[in-house]
Amino acid sequence: MKGWKIAIIVVVVAVIALFWRGLHMDPRFIPTVLEGKPAMTFAAQEINSGRIWKLEELRGKVVVLNFWASWCRECRAEHENLLQVQERFGSNKDFVMLGVVYQDQDEDARRFLKEWGSNYPHLLDPKGEVGIGYGVSGVPETFLIDRNGIISCKHVGPLVGSELEKVMERWIKPMLAGKELKSCA
Amino acid sequence: MTHVLGQFSIMLALALAAAGSLAAVTSIVTAQPAWVRSARNAIYLVFVLLTMAMGALEYAFLSHDYGLKYVADNSNNTLPGFYLATALWGGHEGSFLLWAWLLALYSAVAARLHWRTHPQAMPYLLAISSALLLGFLCLIVFLADPFEAAKIRAADGAGLNPLLQDPGMVFHPPFLYMGYVGFSIPFAFAMAALLRGKVNEEWIRATRRWTLFAWLMLTFGIVLGGYWAYYELGWGGYWAWDPVENASFMPWLVGTAFLHSVMVQETRRMFKIWNVFLIIATFSLTLLGAFLVRSGVVSSVHSFASDPGRGVFILSFMTIVLVFSFGTLVLRGDRLKSEVEIDSMVSRESAFLFNNLFFLVAMATVFVGTLYPLMLEAFTGSKVTVGAPYYNAVFLPIMLAMVVLMGIGPLLPWRKASPEVLARNTLLPAALAVLGTLATIAAGVHEIYPLFGLAVVYFVFGTILRDFHTGARGSQRREGLSYFSALLNAITRNKRRYGGLIVHFGVLMMIVGLIGSSVFRIEKDVVLKPGDSFALGSYEVQLKGVTEVSGPNYSGMAAILDVLQAGKQVVELRPEKRNYTTSSMPTTEAAINENWLRDIYLVLDKPTGDGLIIKGYLNPLVKWIWSGVMVIGLGTALSLWQRRRLMKEQA
Repeated sequence: MKGWKIAIIVVVVAVIALFWRGLHMDPRFIPTVLEGKPAMTFAAQEINSGRIWKLEELRGKVVVLNFWASWCRECRAEHENLLQVQERFGSNKDFVMLGVVYQDQDEDARRFLKEWGSNYPHLLDPKGEVGIGYGVSGVPETFLIDRNGIISCKHVGPLVGSELEKVMERWIKPMLAGKELKSCA
Repeated sequence: MTHVLGQFSIMLALALAAAGSLAAVTSIVTAQPAWVRSARNAIYLVFVLLTMAMGALEYAFLSHDYGLKYVADNSNNTLPGFYLATALWGGHEGSFLLWAWLLALYSAVAARLHWRTHPQAMPYLLAISSALLLGFLCLIVFLADPFEAAKIRAADGAGLNPLLQDPGMVFHPPFLYMGYVGFSIPFAFAMAALLRGKVNEEWIRATRRWTLFAWLMLTFGIVLGGYWAYYELGWGGYWAWDPVENASFMPWLVGTAFLHSVMVQETRRMFKIWNVFLIIATFSLTLLGAFLVRSGVVSSVHSFASDPGRGVFILSFMTIVLVFSFGTLVLRGDRLKSEVEIDSMVSRESAFLFNNLFFLVAMATVFVGTLYPLMLEAFTGSKVTVGAPYYNAVFLPIMLAMVVLMGIGPLLPWRKASPEVLARNTLLPAALAVLGTLATIAAGVHEIYPLFGLAVVYFVFGTILRDFHTGARGSQRREGLSYFSALLNAITRNKRRYGGLIVHFGVLMMIVGLIGSSVFRIEKDVVLKPGDSFALGSYEVQLKGVTEVSGPNYSGMAAILDVLQAGKQVVELRPEKRNYTTSSMPTTEAAINENWLRDIYLVLDKPTGDGLIIKGYLNPLVKWIWSGVMVIGLGTALSLWQRRRLMKEQA
């Protein structure tokens, strides 16, 4: 067969394959630029105990940071799953999960926790500085920070169903085991 | 009632297109003329039915029939009549219907025009046309039904996107489709020739005017899109190398190559496979464009809603067309060996060959730039946007080379050019180029790229002038006419050649405009309080005040700006910021003062605490772009005028 025939076949097949692949991707999905960058340090007060939590002091630990608000319906949907995450990994001394109350009234947040339960600390962010530092545009958002204080992964939206499984099985579990994450997906 | 009529029409049309395809294929297999007639009549009926569907949808819009989801989504009670009538193609569903209707129209006209002259090709032509219609009608009936009933009948519609309420946008899509669909007829003829194994020059003669017409419509469509962007979007530009723009530009590039390349086959019986390849590529690229635009696989500033179901359908349809057409070419290509070889590298043939190569390389650069983000994401998951810097770096040199060739090509004789003749023919244009370039430097242009570009433009202009002059002198000598009548005589004698030269002249005008408005453009972004002013080139722009404006379906504000030169008022401009009643998105109305030298282009951005944000652009020579395309239209019309008989004599 002549070269031009092969070239035509290759180009046609490649273009169709590419488009087929393209149909299964979302061109409007923009990955966060924060992944792979050092996490902004903060010092914030716990909502009930008043204890000050500093991110620097958590070096060497795997940190999950979850931004939420009492007015956010999706946050309520994922809340029991977050409790489950803490239940499963909380006993590991290398694991810390922190909630950050995002643009909310302290009282409403406290009531929310009382009503739905809590087994990990929640930090107040009265001036919204932590939220801005992490580029939070809507709650819930969840960040995975590695032992060196680098943001490994970010998830926007509630952790339900396969998303919860992703965070538990493909984010936290391998990282605690000291394995390299292949991707955040 | 309307939607019953419409739905009935498109469903029956679908059935008839299927029956027509079968009849046409049967006629090819059995060679019985009765089947060909049935296939033709099916096409005629499909056209009638789709015309009824178009009429029904149009009536639904004009009578505010919000029982139809499509009407409710794309119009409302306050929409002015003109936009109401044209809202038909404001969304996907209506656009597909318009596309199918045009396809049916062209197919019916082609069947009628070529019925007696091309009886052998007719079954193939009908089979391909009906199959294409069948594809589009499946899409319309099953995935994009414009006659879908609304779940709840609303009292008022959602309204048409305010950005689409502009004359440029009203005519941009139909012209594009007239171009896209127009290429399906030459494509069908080419496939007929290929399938019959008779790729002589006949299919090219038969489709010359179809090709020219489609090309002209596509050219108008693309430029109208730029015109709309320039006047409506308010960013001071007309072309952004956005994927959706590129989608219409790619078939144009290959179509232009085809348009030139067929002349070689007509005259010298060469480039046979090549021409079939080019028309298949052109037609495939129109489908690829439809896919890119309607499926949303590439992210684009054109915020079309994406629909994966339609994406899958169009991709499957495109796959069938690509596999069928390129497959046939691959299997049958060997029968089309050129009977003649190129004699000399300095000849009209080789000029056309280079023309083709340049156009194809140009298309490839756009193609790669458009699909690169998709490729990168598919392989690595990273997100990138390929923008103007890539295209400017890669495309501009190719474009300059093409323009040089545009000057030299028409000077070269077929077969072989003697160096002496070439030197004699290029002497005057070269002198003009040198003088013109010196004058341009004296006028203050010192950048290398625009200087080189303009030198090329002067040169090509010289060759065109020379060509007209030679024609006039020849005619003058032969017939003893005055110079002017001799010129007219020469032009009417050979409309095709002079039409082509006029098109080239229009292209030169556009290039002058493109160079001027891209290289020498001045852009200012200022915050003004009433009484403040800013300098824009040699002009001074002063904010006098703000006023409220309102229209039938919008209200907003306008800044009153005085444009002064040397202390004297040139013009008062009022850029607007509009809020359409049905859309939360405010739109900008740029205020533009234009002449042959420059456009003063002012945009009112949002007010801040410190005053109004005004964007000012001084865009040189933009008018040349719009005028250039008019000249192109004139030249193409002249060329279209030439009858076939005359061509045969020449060949």
